[in-house]
Amino acid sequence: MKKIKIIKAFGIFVHALIFGVCLYGTAARANNTSIVEKIQQQTLQVSGTITDANGALLGVSITVKGKPSGAVSGLNGKYTIEVASKDILVFSFLGYKMVEIPVNNQTIINIQLEEDTTQLKEVIVNAGYYSVKDKERTGSIARITAKNIETQPVTNVLATMQGRMAGVNITQTTGMPGGGFAIQIRGQNSLRSTGNDPLYVIDGIPYSSEAIGSSSTSTVLAGLTSPLNSINPDQIESIEILKDADATAIYGSRGANGVVLITTKKGKVGKTRFTGNYTTGLGSVTRFMDLMNTEQYLAMRREAYGNDGVTVYPRNAYDLNGAWDQNRYTDWQKALIGGTAEITNMNASIMGGSAQTQFLLSGNFSKQTNVYPGDFRYKKGNVQLNVNHGSENKKFHILFSGGYTAQDNNQPYFDLTRESRLLAPNAPELYDAEGNLNWQNNTFTNPLRNLNGNYSALTYDLLANAVLSYQLMNSLEIKTTFGFSDLRHEESSTAPSTLYNPAYGIGSDNSVLFLNNANRQTWIVEPQLNWNKTLGKANISLLAGGTFQNKTGTQLVHQALGFPSNSMIYNLAAASNVTITQNDGSVYRYQAFFGRANLNWDDRYIINLTGRRDGSSRFGPGKQFATFGALGVAWLFSNEKIVKDNKILSFGKLRFSYGSTGNDQIGDYQYLDTYSTTGIAYEGIVGMEPSRLYNSKFGWETNKKLEIALETGFLNDRIFFTAAWYNNRSSNQLVGVPLPGTTGFSSIQANLEATVENRGLELTLRAINFQGKDFSWSTQFNFSASKNKLIAFPGLEGSTYRNQFVVGQPLNIVKVFQFKGVNPETGIYQFEDFNGDGIVSETDDKQTVKDLNPQFFGGIQNQLKYKQFQLDFLFQFVKQENYNAIRTFSMPGTRNNQLAETANHWQNVGDNAPNQVYSVSNSTIRNAYFQYTESTASISDASFIRLKNVALYYDVPTKWPKDIQCRLSIQGQNLLTITKYMGADPEFKIYDYLPPLRLFSAGAQFTF
Amino acid sequence: MKTIKKYIKIGLLHFVAFTFLCNSCDNFVEVELPDSQLTAPDIFEEMATANAAMTSIYSKIRDSGLLTGSPNGLSHQLGNYTDELEYYGSSQNVTIDFYNNALSASNNDLRGLWSATYNQIYATNAILYGAENSTKLSMDNRDQLRGEALFVRALLHFYLVNLYGDIPYIINTDYTQNSTVSRLATLSVYTAIKADLVEAIALLPENYLNSNRVRPNKLTARALLARLNLYAGMWDDAANEASAILNTNLYVWEDNIDHVFLKESLSTIWQLSPAQSDNNTEEGSTFIFTSGPPPMSALNSNLVGAFPLGDLRRTHWIGEVTNGTNTWYHPNKYKHTLTEGGSQEYSILFRLAEQYLIRAEARAHLGDLTGAKEDLNKVRNRAGLPNTAAQSATDIITDILEERRFEFFTELGHRFFDLKRTNQLTNILSVSKPYWNDTDSLLPIPASELLLNPNLAPQNPGY
Repeated sequence: MKKIKIIKAFGIFVHALIFGVCLYGTAARANNTSIVEKIQQQTLQVSGTITDANGALLGVSITVKGKPSGAVSGLNGKYTIEVASKDILVFSFLGYKMVEIPVNNQTIINIQLEEDTTQLKEVIVNAGYYSVKDKERTGSIARITAKNIETQPVTNVLATMQGRMAGVNITQTTGMPGGGFAIQIRGQNSLRSTGNDPLYVIDGIPYSSEAIGSSSTSTVLAGLTSPLNSINPDQIESIEILKDADATAIYGSRGANGVVLITTKKGKVGKTRFTGNYTTGLGSVTRFMDLMNTEQYLAMRREAYGNDGVTVYPRNAYDLNGAWDQNRYTDWQKALIGGTAEITNMNASIMGGSAQTQFLLSGNFSKQTNVYPGDFRYKKGNVQLNVNHGSENKKFHILFSGGYTAQDNNQPYFDLTRESRLLAPNAPELYDAEGNLNWQNNTFTNPLRNLNGNYSALTYDLLANAVLSYQLMNSLEIKTTFGFSDLRHEESSTAPSTLYNPAYGIGSDNSVLFLNNANRQTWIVEPQLNWNKTLGKANISLLAGGTFQNKTGTQLVHQALGFPSNSMIYNLAAASNVTITQNDGSVYRYQAFFGRANLNWDDRYIINLTGRRDGSSRFGPGKQFATFGALGVAWLFSNEKIVKDNKILSFGKLRFSYGSTGNDQIGDYQYLDTYSTTGIAYEGIVGMEPSRLYNSKFGWETNKKLEIALETGFLNDRIFFTAAWYNNRSSNQLVGVPLPGTTGFSSIQANLEATVENRGLELTLRAINFQGKDFSWSTQFNFSASKNKLIAFPGLEGSTYRNQFVVGQPLNIVKVFQFKGVNPETGIYQFEDFNGDGIVSETDDKQTVKDLNPQFFGGIQNQLKYKQFQLDFLFQFVKQENYNAIRTFSMPGTRNNQLAETANHWQNVGDNAPNQVYSVSNSTIRNAYFQYTESTASISDASFIRLKNVALYYDVPTKWPKDIQCRLSIQGQNLLTITKYMGADPEFKIYDYLPPLRLFSAGAQFTF
Repeated sequence: MKTIKKYIKIGLLHFVAFTFLCNSCDNFVEVELPDSQLTAPDIFEEMATANAAMTSIYSKIRDSGLLTGSPNGLSHQLGNYTDELEYYGSSQNVTIDFYNNALSASNNDLRGLWSATYNQIYATNAILYGAENSTKLSMDNRDQLRGEALFVRALLHFYLVNLYGDIPYIINTDYTQNSTVSRLATLSVYTAIKADLVEAIALLPENYLNSNRVRPNKLTARALLARLNLYAGMWDDAANEASAILNTNLYVWEDNIDHVFLKESLSTIWQLSPAQSDNNTEEGSTFIFTSGPPPMSALNSNLVGAFPLGDLRRTHWIGEVTNGTNTWYHPNKYKHTLTEGGSQEYSILFRLAEQYLIRAEARAHLGDLTGAKEDLNKVRNRAGLPNTAAQSATDIITDILEERRFEFFTELGHRFFDLKRTNQLTNILSVSKPYWNDTDSLLPIPASELLLNPNLAPQNPGY
């Protein structure tokens, strides 16, 4: 009951905010109407000159607020326009701050526009411990802002970045609401599949992205529940991704895989403003597989038994032996995962403040159902408060942000996707005449049984931080950041007796409840000193600071068995047996000192030095500390005299960086030889088992990064182009070395003298294609091509990795059989026998290397504006190979459905067919089939071009009082996918989970 | 004045923060162990924790790997592999591959079976190491722990060698050795098992640690030794070991056929305690069903039909389910599912009837036909059958093997191992199992194991 209350409270909160907005609006309108009436109508001609710091500006658009009339400044910046005396003129030009001026009977209005520092190269970029002007930065930092985030009807922060940033590869792992995303910044650095996550930092506070789920409860997701869903995209002002050594070395041991800096929205000076936003939409699965119909399927089954010489269909061949109607046909994909999900999102905020104090209070509520039959939904509510205060003398500042997020996810016990593809097309009806689940006299394992079990997750996340700073002297500032986070996660899954065929005769005394309670608390204190001085042509900035971080985590997993009735399955007290299967605690401590020295000579030459000494509790005595550092240099050649006043080249910078970072994502206590409690009793004694194979000698993994980049702006930066080339090498790889089962475990933690290289090219282009009075069009393009390569691996041949890796090849490869088609004589799949011993064997003949990394990826984003209309759309593209649908199915002939194209198969000697002869259980055919699923045939092109996001906005002309703005929008996500992929959706990490959804939504936003 | 005050305040605030933190700098990154873990040497400081380490092995054996009563264990899988069970369940399960004799070296579930067993062996070696190096435990305690660990290590290798043929014999926890280990010839594995058992017998106490027989004693190790000798054709030794058990009054022959599998039965030599005090066995949940067609496996009707008329096991150890037109049968030795009915049955790994039949077979081979018949009749009579009519040694042995089929069906793969040791697998199974091949007498070494450790090559024939 508690969960419902809390989530409801968010709904009420958001409603209250919206209601407040409405009340305020009514009052404002009443006031304004009376003002309007007092002013007489009078027509004037206004003229003037528009300039900027360098002189006249051509092409500035001048509009009358709330009216269709407008003009554009001509040569020498001159303009004229017809207006009424009470009108307000709006001057806007890309790259400059918009200015509004009331006419008030003036006939000449001259104006100097200021360059807008929030656009283009004047942007201030958050680099973590310091900020830097975009044009002066020496490091590689990609950025998206609220403008791009708000166009997307998604709830996960990683979803908002997909396709928009060079070098950042993001994959959605499931379309299940509350599911996760996988992210890789500049490729895979670590041999460990779990050691490639970037560091997330929210408003200066590191946010642990380690999974909070448990394998016994996160059954429905493709992976364990991720805490990142707690971050609310609506409240993000900007996301910066730090990529190279110069930007990441100040994060030392945690910077190897890049750093994601998330900055939340802050209050602004000005009159109190309300914003309310409501969006609602629908979602459905992007792509289905093309499967056999009943006729094709039954023909396959009969032929398979025929081939095996079986004349009497066995008792368990229900699809053929009469137990099931052979005339039925159900498209199981439609029936099970073909539904429509509903999404609703509303948020409201109040913002305002004086010169000394500003605030922002916002609330958000979102809800999403899923595509299964049945009533499942994901809800999220969130409040965020931000207060900013400066003392009168402007020396002391305090900034506080606090946010609280609650999530409530309710899904079935298990993903239905795989069953929807494998179920025989003539399988019986889901429900019998009475509306109960149909088990067809125990012959039908009804897929909807999974809906009887439940996955439910409640996550509460509190995040608070404060920054205190004081200007000691003109050039010296002292600052301390305090952060605290408290994450509580309650996850449960139920496996009631109704999950099973009633033939087992299982009652509620066999129903099981799994509970997972995970808590995580972090505190961090980071004192810092900042010194900044201009001496002649030199500007020097120094920064020194320290970090003390403590993270404690606990996880308690219960298993409760046997209930008097299934309706009491959530009541632990009603269970006849409660076992604690896991009760873990962990402490992670982290300590560091860091510094930065930056010299800017005449805005032409910039040198940036950063360093960090890190200590981590994840390593054994003597291995805890390590030092990291980087050098970054930049040359702004456009500020050199020769090119300074060039009409075409408006900006030019060459930058270089080199340095080292580390990686300590290995989990806690791995260096200890311990026994852990199993939670499982024997004779009343709860067991203790060896936790792992023991190795205390492992140390830091280091990552050396090199980058060279060119940034250029043309035609007053209307075209802005950057090219970056990087080469990163990680060595001293910390891995769980896979071991054969005979060692008792599957791996051991150790450093390997292996080196992994990631190099690549990243291009971005930003262009204002057209800028007119009513119409403007801009394009942003990003492209990343990267090569991942295992450079060195001493002793690879003798190690357990020899089947997984090849020196000179990427890490994410698989070694498979080389498929050679179907033998026309025997009708059986053939594979290359590499060692020529006449036997195709797993050990010797899996020799063909397939690379599953994307070769290149990127996005093209366009923004078109026409009067009050704005259209944004983003195409995402990925060139890659991946596992195809062959991996989903089992041998053609068995009691599982198949791809429709499998019907094209070998039947008679001499046939040239793509698929082999059907069989139910012939061991030779079966063996060939297993090899087929592990061969080149099972990996094929999974490239795609996807219309990732479309957003159309319409600013309603304000017939209303002038300061109410209303914006209507239509948005779409994953609208169109162009691909040759053999299978369902080409975007996945683990196949056979629910593919990403295609979403349509419509929304309205009010601001005043 | 105001500014200066503020200045001081801010300075003070930072000063306090700095000093507080810097005082704890030195050992800031050293952390304590969490409550849920103990270091390995600490485990062997006290018998209570060492005991928890030992019993954890038994619970693993009960819940996973070869000997579990759950559907993944040998009782169910080898029942389907041979002619004991018929499979009706999902085609997604490895059991269908057992049933069709179509096992694949790449199958993940098979890999799990292998790894789970070696993980249990690792745990026994960790106990041996810990107990040997313990300075705090008493001699008696150390002997107890070592004896049990050696026995379990022998037991697990015994099943492995009979399933996979030549296998590595793992005797320590050193992963550098164990990751490159080679397969040991079957005969040498037998020798190693025997050596472990002999040592275990010397170390283990005569009596059980507690009345419910869930920890092995000296005679449990001898029971396995008797079986090992039977499999190896060492008739004298087999008969002697069996006699050692049959001659004590620790075990009492259970005349009532319905009491054999009760947890109090005094004919039980070793059984596994359930996880919860009011639980029954995994076997019960695996085999029992209440309506047809069966959701998973049912007894093969040929087996049901083969029981002689009047055999009480046919009526008492087999359950029947009918839907009006069809009838299906299930093993009903364990009569309760895991959670139903309160605690009545434990999973039995060794019981007295086996020792009688071991001695009967050994005696028949040694020419003691009277003794052989006496032992065989003991088992027959309890099942309500008359004394055997067989006269010659060969006929008696044939009768004993037939008796084993009826006595031990769906118990830990006895049927498979009996057919295998008497070289009858193909003879008998190729009749009832259409996909049976000669090479199915050995399971495949998991392909991933061969990849990770090429010293395990070659793969068993046929895979």
